[in-house]
Amino acid sequence: MTHSATPALERVTVLANDRVAEGVGLIVLLAPRCAASVRPGQFVHLRVTDARDLILRRPFSVHRAEGETIEILYQVLGEGTLRLAEKEPGDTSMDLVGPLGHGWWVPEGAVHALIVTGGLGAAPLGMLAEQLAESGIAAVTAMGAPTASRLVARDLYESVTRRVEVATDDGSAGEHGFVTAVTARLFAVERFDVVYTCGPEVMQRAIVAQAREAGVPCQVSLERLMACGIGACLSCVVTTTEGRKRACVDGPVFDAGEVCWDDSELPPRH
Amino acid sequence: MTQSSRPGTSPDMRVRIGALELKNPVMAASGTFASGREFADFIDLSRLGAIVTKGVSPQAWAGNDSPRIAETASGMLNSIGLQNPGVEAFCAKDLAWLAENAADTPVIVNVSGHSQSQYAEVIERLESERVDAYELNISCPNVDEGGMAFGTTCEAAADVVTACRPLTKRPLIVKLSPNVTDIAAIAQSVEAAGADAVSLINTLLGMAVDASKRRPKLARVVGGLSGPAIKPVALRMVWQVASAVTVPVIGMGGIVTAEDAVEFLLCGATAVAVGTANFMDPTAAIRVVDGLEGWCRHYGVAAVTELVGALEVDA
Repeated sequence: MTHSATPALERVTVLANDRVAEGVGLIVLLAPRCAASVRPGQFVHLRVTDARDLILRRPFSVHRAEGETIEILYQVLGEGTLRLAEKEPGDTSMDLVGPLGHGWWVPEGAVHALIVTGGLGAAPLGMLAEQLAESGIAAVTAMGAPTASRLVARDLYESVTRRVEVATDDGSAGEHGFVTAVTARLFAVERFDVVYTCGPEVMQRAIVAQAREAGVPCQVSLERLMACGIGACLSCVVTTTEGRKRACVDGPVFDAGEVCWDDSELPPRH
Repeated sequence: MTQSSRPGTSPDMRVRIGALELKNPVMAASGTFASGREFADFIDLSRLGAIVTKGVSPQAWAGNDSPRIAETASGMLNSIGLQNPGVEAFCAKDLAWLAENAADTPVIVNVSGHSQSQYAEVIERLESERVDAYELNISCPNVDEGGMAFGTTCEAAADVVTACRPLTKRPLIVKLSPNVTDIAAIAQSVEAAGADAVSLINTLLGMAVDASKRRPKLARVVGGLSGPAIKPVALRMVWQVASAVTVPVIGMGGIVTAEDAVEFLLCGATAVAVGTANFMDPTAAIRVVDGLEGWCRHYGVAAVTELVGALEVDA
């Protein structure tokens, strides 16, 4: 079980900010305090501008942490991420609140894991893949994307997990079709102890159903619109078998079995 | 302006809301601060003038469907819908935590109900607890029954106060809705019914639309607008209400900086509350506390009460 360190407000310095796929950027931030304590699956709540017109912070999962830096993969979807994409190395205008949230956990005795990513869902699973490798847990990664130019972080998963299988909607990388076809085949021939997934909700639901069918525990990272990010405002609620929980502090990673999927929301825009 | 304080002396930041003395005029606004626990990692809660808790109803309320928020230009809409665990759980968890971790900070409980009797029920339950004042929420735009419906006519607003007044000797603050034609008239009617103070403004009813999807951005379609965008409206209403009543006014609506807070004091607010800014920066309320004291020091204001209603308007 991950147990998060105390979050803090921390000024960050941009070290690099590059386009890594169609509409996707990778920003590297100097954030020593956060980098030292962040756990896989946690997120940071980033204030992307001092201007008063965009008042809310944006939640971003931490893709990787190394030394005093954290890496964030982001998709340019709205005004906030557009401004993030314009940040140059050396920029010190942003601060973050973090690390926040309840991340991924490794069930007792697990030795064989399946990681399933859809599009930018590859972001919050990066640190986990590295942690699994360090603790000797064999992981297979199934990655889905609309097209090859929107496949992100494949290199990372190829370097730390045992095998990577790719599917794209248009067949421009890996096999032609949805990642759920790949996972259906994997569940049929391999035995997993745990499944970790993040991606579009329709994909997550399909993966959760396959995992349940196969009798494998499954964890999902959910995205919700957030205001405070620290559990106070009740904007980011997720309907669970135990009532409404907060994605920011009770999640973003949930046991798939407790999520009531019929209460979905429209995908957030940043 | 009085220039009575010598450089280096500390300005007197204390203010009174009825019988309640606050160490400074800066509160955390209801609905933006939970019961303070979530902010304890970031700030020293004991330095706040007061904590106003999230709305509490007799039984648990589940709140509205998602999406519950939408960002707008210099503001945000919310339609949380007063989700809360009910007064029993609130006493057991929130008040117990506050007693242990913020014993020096006055606690004002925001009281919500679908009917007059529900407001009364919450107050009756809380009378045996350590609570310093009540804020009657007759202005939430996000619930179908009650809520704002009590705050938009003088009669309904006064009736809630009349129902609650005999139940407690503690200060009764009434939180007013800006979604009315004449907020000063509502303020006068709750004052006449026995309110010890009024707080304003609650959120402005608004709406946001996703044109490409032809859908409202909120599941409930409409919600309450807050943040810097509403400050001019809030200042105007505080000014009008402070001119119309004799009870203290607690001003709020878009306060982010200490200077914002000063503007509200000048317009007649005795105290202020920091709301949506807590989402922008979890240290916002303390920045306003520190900044307000610094402002007084800088301008040689010996007591913060000197600023209350000190706006200079040409006759």
